Amino acid sequence: MYELAYSRPASLADALALLAEDEGAQAISGGQTLMPVLRARLAMPSRLVDLLKLPELTGIRTVDGGVEIGAATTHADVAASAEVRAALPALADLAGGIGDPAIRHRGTIGGSIANNDPAACYPSALLALGASITTSQRTVAAEDFFTGMFSTALEPGEIVTAVRLPACQRARYIKFRNPASRFALVGAFAAQLPSGTRIAITGGGHGVFRWREAEAHLDSGGTIDAITEDMLDLAHFTGDLHGSAEYRHHIAAVIVRRALSALA
Amino acid sequence: MIIEITGSYLLPCSPQTAWQALNDTEVLKSCLKGCEALERTAENEFTGKVAAKIGPVSARFSGTMRQTELDPPRSCRMQFEGQGGVAGFAKGGALVTLTPQDGGTELTYVADTQIGGKLAQMGARLVEGTAKSMADDFFGKFAAAVAAMEPEAGPVAAPAQDAPSDEQTSGTPAWLVPAVLIVIAAMAAVAVFFH
Repeated sequence: MYELAYSRPASLADALALLAEDEGAQAISGGQTLMPVLRARLAMPSRLVDLLKLPELTGIRTVDGGVEIGAATTHADVAASAEVRAALPALADLAGGIGDPAIRHRGTIGGSIANNDPAACYPSALLALGASITTSQRTVAAEDFFTGMFSTALEPGEIVTAVRLPACQRARYIKFRNPASRFALVGAFAAQLPSGTRIAITGGGHGVFRWREAEAHLDSGGTIDAITEDMLDLAHFTGDLHGSAEYRHHIAAVIVRRALSALA
Repeated sequence: MIIEITGSYLLPCSPQTAWQALNDTEVLKSCLKGCEALERTAENEFTGKVAAKIGPVSARFSGTMRQTELDPPRSCRMQFEGQGGVAGFAKGGALVTLTPQDGGTELTYVADTQIGGKLAQMGARLVEGTAKSMADDFFGKFAAAVAAMEPEAGPVAAPAQDAPSDEQTSGTPAWLVPAVLIVIAAMAAVAVFFH
């Protein structure tokens, strides 16, 4: 790593000021992606602004019709939260399956969604459930927040403060994981919302997306068994040394059917 | 490892205008996100600098490019080499062709790139996707730029109004287009090295 400055501000306002006054400053939450990048010298921020202790970003609250999770909440805390378990058990399960214990005790929900890794788990839940993301400046719908591989609607210097999700008992996340990294080779989050069925897929390669054809098929009375990869655009998928685009495409349909069957 | 990237775009102008724009380092610079410098160092040689950022990874690539064949305003072939420090390197060749079509011009590129260093460990994951989105971004801006350059009114055809002399157009950095795309695409692969 290169030499750099490190700040742990005590308030959101202080964090925003630090990011605003130095163009080379970089916010850090759990650092589960950023630290390996720094170690490999693939980024050279002049200052790290640590968000983990900001009071505005901590805590899990039950809110009208759902839960609000502070951005600096670790995956382990989401998995163990009685509030999340009661309102949205599928999300607690998802959080408990991210990476390994070391990662779950450092990585945060805010860091995961701000990074928007194309194989991350959380973005699929937020997109399927129609979550809203609160930042230092505004509230953004998940639909508008995730804009592609490693890219979000966040402006430079804008900080995710919380995520608000609706309560939902009929939801399920199934991940076909890479056994080494535990990232999603492909992951599918299915939910039955009052407005209809929602299916979000992660791990395809270009970033999380909704499988609208399958949603429409189910909402118009179609069966789960009739859902096949023929209804899924292959262009959402890319290949790598772990699996070809065609392989991921096929697996996606399989795990979506499993997730949907688990809802029934 | 070797990666092949191809693409084609329809530009709202004549091949002459497209060729001219591809010769214009200022136009190219303004269309390419993160391009910090683009200059000619010899008759047929150029250097460029691109700062790219994908997720948490940011890297500066500097590249040199050399043209080997020129056929204005139809095609050119090029060799390029890019260095991105610890991120790795990319080198290869590309062929860019311009074909009149539907009153506009179809630009097609075919590029073969060899990548090494940390890049090579990643595999081709995300390279395609990033190259595509970079290319879309570039050609979106480029199409707007050439539309503005196109002489007012009159059919696009108006063949060769003293087609710009070869002297004027030789030394085109047209090959910078695929070269830079590839360098950035290769960098995207770095972003996922820890998966």
